[in-house]
Amino acid sequence: MQNVLVYVQHKNGQTPKVTFEMATQARKLADQLGGKAHALVVGAGSSQLAQTLKTYPLDTVHVNDDADVDRYLLDPVIDYLEAAAKAIGPSLVLVANTLTGKDVAGRLVARLNAGICADAVDFKLEGGKVVAVMPKLGGAAITNCELLAGDYGVVTIRPNAFAAQAGGSGAAVQAIEKPAGKNYGVVVEKDVEESSGELALEEAPVVVAGGRGLGGPEPFDTLLKPLASALGGAVGASRAAADAGWVPYSLQIGQTGKTVSPPLYIAVGISGAIQHKVGMRSSGTIVAINKDGQSPIAEFSDLLVVGDAFAIVPELTKLVQAAKS
Amino acid sequence: MKIVVTVKLVPDPNADKRIDAGTKRLVRTGVETVLNPYDEYALEAALQLKEKTGGDTTVTVFTMAPESLKETLRKALAMGADDAVLLSDAALEGSDVWASSYAISRALKKIGFDLLIVGGLSDDGSTGATPGALAEYLQTPLVTNARKAEIADGKLKIERETDTGYQDVTAPLPCAMTTALTFGEPRYASLKGIMGAKKKTIAALTVAELGLEHAVGQGGSKTALLSFAPPPVRGKGQVIEAADGASGAKAIFDFLKERKLV
Repeated sequence: MQNVLVYVQHKNGQTPKVTFEMATQARKLADQLGGKAHALVVGAGSSQLAQTLKTYPLDTVHVNDDADVDRYLLDPVIDYLEAAAKAIGPSLVLVANTLTGKDVAGRLVARLNAGICADAVDFKLEGGKVVAVMPKLGGAAITNCELLAGDYGVVTIRPNAFAAQAGGSGAAVQAIEKPAGKNYGVVVEKDVEESSGELALEEAPVVVAGGRGLGGPEPFDTLLKPLASALGGAVGASRAAADAGWVPYSLQIGQTGKTVSPPLYIAVGISGAIQHKVGMRSSGTIVAINKDGQSPIAEFSDLLVVGDAFAIVPELTKLVQAAKS
Repeated sequence: MKIVVTVKLVPDPNADKRIDAGTKRLVRTGVETVLNPYDEYALEAALQLKEKTGGDTTVTVFTMAPESLKETLRKALAMGADDAVLLSDAALEGSDVWASSYAISRALKKIGFDLLIVGGLSDDGSTGATPGALAEYLQTPLVTNARKAEIADGKLKIERETDTGYQDVTAPLPCAMTTALTFGEPRYASLKGIMGAKKKTIAALTVAELGLEHAVGQGGSKTALLSFAPPPVRGKGQVIEAADGASGAKAIFDFLKERKLV
């Protein structure tokens, strides 16, 4: 492993922020390994996205606007990645730890005979060894995992864990030829976008989450949303709130839901049961508002304010708005 | 039609897990081993498809685990699977994703399937890479994160969740599928199911029967776990009693300001 290859997940040129976090990290890794930093972007809208990617410190961006990429479910993407990795030579492939990224990474493990480290939040490179740092068991353990000497390694990257920083002297944008590949024939008949290519919750710098203590669906809109907007963040929820039907499951944080690690997490009316804790405990700063000072969340918050969320949150929103203007 | 569901046996997800700082291992005391919850959804999908297709459709459950965990598979049989296969071998100990997917794919090839259903994620390893690796080793189409599935005209049609919405996709059979948690709550085992499960077969497979060309286990793996440690201790934070909304808000705002978060 010497070079680094970033898989750029996107839809019509819209890509989540983690792509730029990976592009930035790829440069650092390539420099330490003594190789080059590459990115692969294929499918409709790729050429346009490549223009943004080249402002990040990569050496080469490999592009093809191939419409087959969107017509079939991932099969062409895997073919392109395999071809690019083999053309570049021994490399470390970085993939976002998203639903799509997990599929891509798993398939590359077999295609490239590669080891895999999943959900990395940091790297340690010592003497040419690549070691990924990953929280496991819902954050109960931090593991260091080494990709043993081999031609290829795959690492999935947790969104929001690495900084994105444009720069460098401008990557070369280069067309990549369509590989022969093996298409297994999984056809996408209909493709519906419900959000605009953003991974709202996983990538938000601030998450304001609500739980059973909010008592119903309305406070998510009237109480939490204004605070989240003022802080430039997103709204999330506990399983209790999702199970009650107050919010869609796509907002659920925790076991069987999403894992987030924003710099700031604000838990409102959430007791902090284990199934919630595993999805947010690696957040930077955790602030809780709860009417019960003895609730489990007291054990892992940096600040617990015991009081009435319905009185505190609007006042806090006003303070944040005033500070901004 | 033959449906095979792969399951993993994991430490109880509802237990608050702790790493012993001395031994650097998961404290297993009081932590039960259970079916990976994601795999229960995969099994639910298989049972629903069996009910819909009827006829001679069968559901086989497969796992790779130490022989001592054999009885944990009874739950899957009690839920309605017809039989089970357990791949168990000391040679598999310490296998990473590459090595275990390789071994499992060979076992699945031996068992044979028209539809392979895999849980989307394991609660313990949480890599999410196994379904993709299995499908590639088996050279079979893969559809992931299914929330609805039907078999029509010899094809699998699914509605699947994506990172930003959903898709309808069609795949030729035989193929592999993973399930999303929106597929439907896994059923409970009935008393009749539990009684019936005692008589169902759990067949044994060993590595020698797989004809592997590469070593598996820790020695055959492509990654090495260097350390497994508890996370940095988050000191117990401040607790402030708020007399009213304004004072509570002020306490939080000052705290955020001090940490440069506003």
